[in-house]
Amino acid sequence: MQVKQLSSVQGRRASCVRDRLDGGDTEGEYTLLRNRVSKLAAATAAGAMLMAAAACGGSDAKDETSASASSAAPEAKAKAKVGLAYDIGGRGDQSFNDAAAAGLDKAKGEFGLETKELETAPGETDAQKEERLRLLASSGFNPVIAVGFAYSASVKKVAAEFPDVKFAIIDDADATGPNVSNLVFAEEQGSFLVGAAAALKSKKGNVGFVGGVEVPLIQKFEAGFVAGAKAVKSDIKIQTKYLSQPPDFTGFNDPAKGKTAAQGMYDGGADVVYQAAGGSGGGVFEAAKAAGAMAIGVDSDQAKTADAAVADVIITSMLKKIDVAVYDFLKNFTSGSVKAGESRYDLKAGGVDFSTTGGKIDDIKAQLDEYKQKIVNGEITVPTTP
Amino acid sequence: MGEAAITTAIATDPAVELTGITKRFPGVIANRDVRLSVAKGHIHAIVGENGAGKSTLMKILYGMQRPDEGEIRINGSAVSFHTPGDAIGAGIGMVHQHFMLADNLTVLENVILGSEPRKGGLAIDFGAARKKIRELSDAYGLGVEPDALVEELGVGDRQRVEILKVLYRGARILILDEPTAVLVPHEVDELFDNLRVLVREGLTILFISHKLDEVLKVADAITVIRRGTTVASVEPSGVTARKLAELMVGSELPSPETRESTVTDVVTLEVSGLTMVAPGHGPVPKGTSAEQLKADGVRLLLEDISFTIHKGEVLGIAGVEGNGQAELVEAIMGMRSITAGTISLGGADITAWSTLKRREGGIGFIPEDRHRHGLLLEAPLWENRILGHQTREPNVKGVWIDRAGARKDTQRIVDEYDVRTPGIDVDAAALSGGNQQKLIVGREMSGEPVLLIASHPTRGVDVGAQAAIWDHLRNARAAGLAVLLISADLDELIGLSDSLKVILRGRIVADVDPGAVTPEQLGSAMTGAGEDT
Amino acid sequence: MSAFMERLTGRVKLDGVFAIVAPVLAVVFAGLVTSVVLLIAGNSPADAFTTLLDQGSTPRIIVLILNTSAAYYLSAVAVAIGFRMNLFNIGVDGQYRLAALLAAAVGGAGLLPGVLNSLLVVLVAVLVGALWASIAGLLKVTRGVSEVISTIMLNAIATGLTGWLLTADRLGVLSGNAIGTTPIPEDAHAPGWALIPGTPMQVNSFLIVAIIVGVGYAVLLNRTRFGFNLRATGRSEPAAVASGVDVKRMVISAMVISGAVAGLVGMPELLGGSFQYSLNFPAGLGFTGIAIALLGRNNAVGMAVGALLWAFLDSSSNALQILDISKELVDIMKGVIVLSVIIAYELVHRYRTVAAQRRVSRELAAPAEVEGAAV
Repeated sequence: MQVKQLSSVQGRRASCVRDRLDGGDTEGEYTLLRNRVSKLAAATAAGAMLMAAAACGGSDAKDETSASASSAAPEAKAKAKVGLAYDIGGRGDQSFNDAAAAGLDKAKGEFGLETKELETAPGETDAQKEERLRLLASSGFNPVIAVGFAYSASVKKVAAEFPDVKFAIIDDADATGPNVSNLVFAEEQGSFLVGAAAALKSKKGNVGFVGGVEVPLIQKFEAGFVAGAKAVKSDIKIQTKYLSQPPDFTGFNDPAKGKTAAQGMYDGGADVVYQAAGGSGGGVFEAAKAAGAMAIGVDSDQAKTADAAVADVIITSMLKKIDVAVYDFLKNFTSGSVKAGESRYDLKAGGVDFSTTGGKIDDIKAQLDEYKQKIVNGEITVPTTP
Repeated sequence: MGEAAITTAIATDPAVELTGITKRFPGVIANRDVRLSVAKGHIHAIVGENGAGKSTLMKILYGMQRPDEGEIRINGSAVSFHTPGDAIGAGIGMVHQHFMLADNLTVLENVILGSEPRKGGLAIDFGAARKKIRELSDAYGLGVEPDALVEELGVGDRQRVEILKVLYRGARILILDEPTAVLVPHEVDELFDNLRVLVREGLTILFISHKLDEVLKVADAITVIRRGTTVASVEPSGVTARKLAELMVGSELPSPETRESTVTDVVTLEVSGLTMVAPGHGPVPKGTSAEQLKADGVRLLLEDISFTIHKGEVLGIAGVEGNGQAELVEAIMGMRSITAGTISLGGADITAWSTLKRREGGIGFIPEDRHRHGLLLEAPLWENRILGHQTREPNVKGVWIDRAGARKDTQRIVDEYDVRTPGIDVDAAALSGGNQQKLIVGREMSGEPVLLIASHPTRGVDVGAQAAIWDHLRNARAAGLAVLLISADLDELIGLSDSLKVILRGRIVADVDPGAVTPEQLGSAMTGAGEDT
Repeated sequence: MSAFMERLTGRVKLDGVFAIVAPVLAVVFAGLVTSVVLLIAGNSPADAFTTLLDQGSTPRIIVLILNTSAAYYLSAVAVAIGFRMNLFNIGVDGQYRLAALLAAAVGGAGLLPGVLNSLLVVLVAVLVGALWASIAGLLKVTRGVSEVISTIMLNAIATGLTGWLLTADRLGVLSGNAIGTTPIPEDAHAPGWALIPGTPMQVNSFLIVAIIVGVGYAVLLNRTRFGFNLRATGRSEPAAVASGVDVKRMVISAMVISGAVAGLVGMPELLGGSFQYSLNFPAGLGFTGIAIALLGRNNAVGMAVGALLWAFLDSSSNALQILDISKELVDIMKGVIVLSVIIAYELVHRYRTVAAQRRVSRELAAPAEVEGAAV
């Protein structure tokens, strides 16, 4: 596991989830088939599942119970019960589900919350997502946090059914309501800055972008990155590659594919590659290490969280502070000051940013700060589509 | 032949002794209270009709089936075989009716396959194997060349390879399951010479057959099986073929002979210039003549075949299996496309017709392999009645299956053709071979066909069913049916046919008068010896 | 195809009481295995099953189960049509996704008013599904390409194609971070009825469509010439050829019909739930269908039971997470059920064979005695 920030429990959980989900395969379609067919029919697979469940399910359940018990002990007053519904991948995806989980964990520790996290399965209908939220709301959980825009339609519908429950949804501004807080990010702005950093650090005038899955959300990263790089050097060469197409979401969880894509870019003359590919990002860093080139991380400060062996290739990371957004929302909830509608986490609000860990971009930090200022005061408007 | 003829085994020191063997399958009792005693150094023949239970008995002896009751003793000690491996361990070897050889391997490789001698734990010791094979071959006069490719060997040679294979594994008791079924007469004689050498060297042979002349020629002792049980053990010197046959059948022997000619001058089927290239030659322009193709070096499965069958005529095709009979049948049925030639039925050119249309046009078809081509084994009889007639009354009404109609007509066939079955909802697999075949014959005779293609119509059926099928063919012929008869049973061919043609390597090589020919003459014509007649 | 595979895919029938005994045994056995897993994981099986049943019997979950099972069932039928003639249409997944996308685009354009628009959507979906499946059929009959390989490949191609089509400059409309086709106008939504007392949630009309398709499937296979030919081809292709069945045409027809039904798989969600094809559109239903077809042994009623069971497990699994039981437990249950159903069918089949053997022996014993006496 490349992410060190995860506690040991989460790490173990993450590896279990991963083992169960993809078994380390590279072909998405094949994996899908295998998961569906052989898992069901083959005795070996079933045996493996039993063992996986015994190992993972058992430890999870105990660890989570003891964790909530210990945190509950010092709190005397009635605790808020927080329900959180993950997107596909759930806790341990090394991407935005984990970021949301981190914010939840932090708030839980600080405010003594009782929490319940529900996971999703691939191939769900909206009705099934609605049911998950409905179950949380009707079981007394308030607030309810939905991770990912996939919950857009479901949040809108269920929030209307439970006017007394506060809902929050991450990455979506469409599901509006008097009891819905929309936590959205200006990914393009942060990406603009790392794009500028890439262009400034590139000696060959050739940079790359690896996206996990070709969805509009990830295209925002690409759009910002391209705009930032071109702002520095208008004739810069930019290579772009997405690892999978929806509804195949394996591109977020396939380091081997990430590595292949990045290798191609380095071989094609790039010397800096920016990855917005979730769990596949580790592969991009490995390719950078092998090529003796540079890479840019995403979401969290990956120079700190990535595998130590490859951390030194990460010159900076585009920070998307979902954990902060979740934490803020819960903090406001406990203080009774949750406001409905859009909370936009942009550069100005500090919701997105770039990291400087390792000092690799100290030489250009001043230039980046300049761009940052221009974006904050509106001099530069960053596009959201490529 | 009454009870007096049944003598308990003469043997002093039995190599194989079976007592009270009983084996049941769903729908049949294959063996019931079988008693058998085989003396060491004898060729012991087991005779019985097809379906009498010979093969099951041998499978039990070879460990492929386990008896429900009874005891097996080998050289005096009781044994219990769970797998053929156990039987091989006890010195029993089996030569199957259908050869189990890999064509693209050499004799040596085939023989050692599965019991390779090892050199230093890993490498196969070909040298040792070759030496051992030579020794065995010389000792028993088999004349097998270890380095020959199996695909280049003739049928008789392959059989010797099979025999060598079991000898190589140390067998002292050999089971030969219908070893002469695939051989032409002179090869049969060679086989018998080999067998005599083997017993002289102290081996014991169980020889399964239903060809009584052969049995009388080679066996030292004979046991007759009827309806799954041993009914008599006799010495060949004490019986005639006819008596043996009556023991097998338990009644008087039927004869395939057709008495008076019913041939008319109305042509039913006319095949002319039929040519079919072997697969793997790439596209060949339709209509290219056989000479042209041969000149181009294309291998032909069928070469310029022409014949006519008249209303009321049975045309027999004689030939060693694999000389184009199956291809000819499939071409006439429209199951395989032809390269050149025309086929016409009742004056209409049906060359371009689909199989279905040909069937609707009045061709009935008794396929060679009823399990593969004739039946849906896991479907009930009434569904099997529909097969091949799925566009015709009484099975269908428009696009719908007429269950009631089909069931009623199935019952009719069961009654008229004496198909012995508990009911028409039984799966076809539950019926014995003869009853399956009677059902097929009944089905193919329904809907008033004008032409019947009968491919080995009595293969693997009991004598009772055989006689019934012959009767049905004769009656249909008298009523004006044209029949194309393909058979490996020369008596059947000679007895039923109005005219006979011999096929060899895809060509018609001889016309034979069935009234004048003997099975021996026909046999030599089939191997090419009589090509100029 | 071995006899075992034939039993597995239901071409060999188990009649009468056995058809019920086998699956019931299997589900009971699956319950036992799951209990052991739960105990190992430190959870109480009683709690888990009570929760599943409690949750599954709440009115709104019942509605959810019914609506979900409609899609599952359609998918199973699509798979089963192929299975019955030995065709493994692994491509139901790609077929329904592509069909749903194109149908959603046509429906969103609002070319026709009201219910005509819904019918147009369904028609487009059926046609697209059939066409996409027919590619695999054509490849098989013209080039001998195994349909297993070609349908898996076509799934991948369908994924690429839908990804390419579902972009803002083609069929997609961007809304926030989501992208989907233009929503289908409200007057074209499939009607539903609040049939289950205690919840305002509606049972969608596609449940009826699924039932009709199931009845149609049973009638087509068992009562028509076409169905006879299809089953004959599945049981023995050489016999079918000899009987005059045009196997090539049957392959194409079966793939086309299978694909047409596959086209319907996405319709309950499209016309009864999301009203657009978006990033959120459920994927993988084609593989669920394979499991259910195996479970129901391609029998119309068996698959209906299987679809309901699957929908029940899927829809009730959230409740387990409330108990801190991993939702993967449901996957384990599903796996064990399919596995034990296969084993149960095999055991029952053997029992039946032995029973038949005994019966036949008894019946044949009497004449055997007579004959024996004569010798």
